[in-house]
Amino acid sequence: MIPLMIKASFEDKSAPPFVARVGLESANNTAALSAELPDVHIYQYREQSFSVASDMGRSMNGDVIFANPATGTLHRWLRSGSSHNTLLVTERCDQLCQMCSQPPRKTHLDMFDHLKQACLLAEPCAQIGFSGGEPLLFKHQLFELLETVGEARPDLTFHILTNAQHFDTADVERLRLTVYSRVKWGIPLYSDQAAMHDQIVAKPGAFAQLMSSFALLAHSGQSIELRTVLLRENYSSLPELARMVSNRLPFISTWAIMQMERIGFARNRWADLFVDHSAQTAPLDEAVSIATSRSLDVALFNMPYCTVSPALRPYLHASISDWKNAFSSECKDCTAKSFCAGFFAWHATLADYERAGPIR
Amino acid sequence: MTRALPLRFRRVADDTAIVADEAGRFFRSNMSFVSRLADGHLTPTDKAFLDSRGFLLGKEDQLNETSFLYALAQRLQPPKPLSYVILIPTLRCDLSCAYCQVSRAAQTAKGYDWSEETLQAVLQYLDEHGGESIQIEFQGGEPSLRLDLLERVVQFARARFSKPQFVVCTNLSSIDSAFADFMASEDVYISTSLDGPSWLHEVQRTQNSDRTSRFFSNLSKACDLAPGRVHALPTLDVNRLPEPNELLDAFDAFGLRSIYLRPVSYHGFARKHHPTSVGYDPRWSNFYSSVIHAMISRNTSNCGAAWEEFYLTHLIKRLLRPGENSHADIRSPNWLGYDHLVIDYDGVLYPTDEARMLARTGQVDLNLGNVQNGLDLGRRAQMQAAAFNALDPWCSRCPYQSACGRDPIDDLARHGHVNPPRPRTAFCQRHTHLFDLAASLIYSDCPDTQLSLSKWLELPVPTKLGEQHL
Ligand code: SF4
Ligand code: SF4
Repeated sequence: MIPLMIKASFEDKSAPPFVARVGLESANNTAALSAELPDVHIYQYREQSFSVASDMGRSMNGDVIFANPATGTLHRWLRSGSSHNTLLVTERCDQLCQMCSQPPRKTHLDMFDHLKQACLLAEPCAQIGFSGGEPLLFKHQLFELLETVGEARPDLTFHILTNAQHFDTADVERLRLTVYSRVKWGIPLYSDQAAMHDQIVAKPGAFAQLMSSFALLAHSGQSIELRTVLLRENYSSLPELARMVSNRLPFISTWAIMQMERIGFARNRWADLFVDHSAQTAPLDEAVSIATSRSLDVALFNMPYCTVSPALRPYLHASISDWKNAFSSECKDCTAKSFCAGFFAWHATLADYERAGPIR
Repeated sequence: MTRALPLRFRRVADDTAIVADEAGRFFRSNMSFVSRLADGHLTPTDKAFLDSRGFLLGKEDQLNETSFLYALAQRLQPPKPLSYVILIPTLRCDLSCAYCQVSRAAQTAKGYDWSEETLQAVLQYLDEHGGESIQIEFQGGEPSLRLDLLERVVQFARARFSKPQFVVCTNLSSIDSAFADFMASEDVYISTSLDGPSWLHEVQRTQNSDRTSRFFSNLSKACDLAPGRVHALPTLDVNRLPEPNELLDAFDAFGLRSIYLRPVSYHGFARKHHPTSVGYDPRWSNFYSSVIHAMISRNTSNCGAAWEEFYLTHLIKRLLRPGENSHADIRSPNWLGYDHLVIDYDGVLYPTDEARMLARTGQVDLNLGNVQNGLDLGRRAQMQAAAFNALDPWCSRCPYQSACGRDPIDDLARHGHVNPPRPRTAFCQRHTHLFDLAASLIYSDCPDTQLSLSKWLELPVPTKLGEQHL
């Protein structure tokens, strides 16, 4: 795993936290490399100087970091060259999804000024993700951030993961501002049945609110990535969900169907929640066929190449990432290895799938 | 209070109806549902179904209103820049086929080719009005008689457009080495006529066995020179139809499995000699359906390339997917003279090839100006006013309306005006049959049919596609 948090020793531990870009040359807003010793790299940011282990120093060149002298940590918020940079807006959430990968907490630390600064320092043409918790619990601050950053950095695009419980009609006009044409909203929907969806997200009325939000977002021309995680509970009715999406949500940009991640709540509830799509391919095959027949764009995530029917393989989201490392011994000689999504430490392992094995 | 969207229906069998909204979303139901709908006595189950498919209005969330409007907007696409042109560099031809009396001149005739000035004006016109990409179809006459002109167009287009494609509509009566080189390019497609088995092709086109065998050997030569880039169309006369399997075998011999079946369309004088061709001959429906069923039984899971009827596939896509508006013969609004255009041998512009024929027979001149002086926008606007089916009293009650289209040029040709009662037109009769057939396939329980549909629509697996409420 690539460490997102790095230990650092700061000269002035009492100084306030700051956001900077790590670089070789000193410049505005840059923590510049000032000395390269065999064991440590030393950086200078304004009055502050700090050091990190030299291998860490090498890997974080170009990153936008959040530095916290009090705790002696650096957080690599925007990793240079990565297309998977996500900023955490809050850990609070008004839902409590059964399989939540990032279980919410009650506390909230307002980081908007730092987040804004990080966005302003992002690499050219970067895509910046926002997630939580539920980022839209702080809707006005987030909108304000997007509008300020959007104006200053017309090259950036944004992806916001939200449960869409907090839009109202007053937002429609605002969302028509040009910056929002560079935003994609990632919104989960687990079932075509209100009761099932509400139960999965543990919030009565969530489905109804979601449907209103979809209408509002469509009216303001927003781009939506619909996200459905496969669960034991919703798997067999996936074709019904495909029909509902085709008919009632034709305006979405993409329907992402994803296998569960083995972190957060899902870790302990794995046996209850995980559904092996390889053991019974029909619901997934059928749902993709129905959606495709109505020209929806479908993408499959977190599914090892060998676990889906050959006909579904073109729909798999190719997973080319520096995060892959959980090789199973079976994968050793597999020809699908370079693009297969089967190697993330926090995913299911091949042992979870009935039908799996190397592609030759 | 919730209520259903305005819905139209068509009874397709005793107790079966296809019900649709104006945005083209449809489902199958029975006649008692239709009566409940008409009487305003929908049951809670009816309403739950209508809601789940986006047909129930008046709920707090307004989602169904939104998805309806979205789907409708996708059907009503605005015009696009010029992206498909048919060019007629020469009207001369070395054959004289039975139904081609008007669109050709003798091989040695003078004054039927583009002049140098016309060529320059055509290229300038394409440069000014073309979008980013373009497809150029060369027709005639026999365009390969003026390969020099084709080469100059191709050279220009490759420099001006991103990934242009070229289609040469040729009778393949000869392939010299220059033509062979021309068709070897990856962006060149060959379109020819193959009327079916050789006896039929000979009766309708080549007329003697020498020419027939030359054509067939040139067709296989073309398939070698342009692998995967040769298409053949049969022109079929209802009075002389081949057996479906005889037809398919003739195509299979050249590896051609996507076929566009069209009944011959006579123009002008020829139409007077063939009075039945003004209306619609129901024998065509029977023939067409039996070819489709023959294709379905040939489409097995390991048959290789799928057998398909090009137009039916397009109609099925139009039924299921809003936004499939690429085919100028079937769309509404039909943007005549916008994205598709025909440029004749003398530089005159026409909205469609049929319009060019009508002008040649002297029936009605539907030209839209010429390349030298540009499009006649007034005439185009006049034509456009008649190219929209949604407000037609018949079409607006038809469940197929948003997938169907309007062809005012065909209306003029056959009826002399643009507002004939729809059900009496050949266009409507033919399309009603096609859409009924498409719906019967979409709702078929037969695994073979579902397999064919999945191939035509490029779906991962065969499955039941249609919505239904029984
Ligand atoms: S064997 Fe391993 S690499 Fe190959 S497809 Fe399966 S999970 Fe992916
Ligand atoms: S032309 Fe006929 S089939 Fe087409 S929409 Fe009109 S009534 Fe229906």
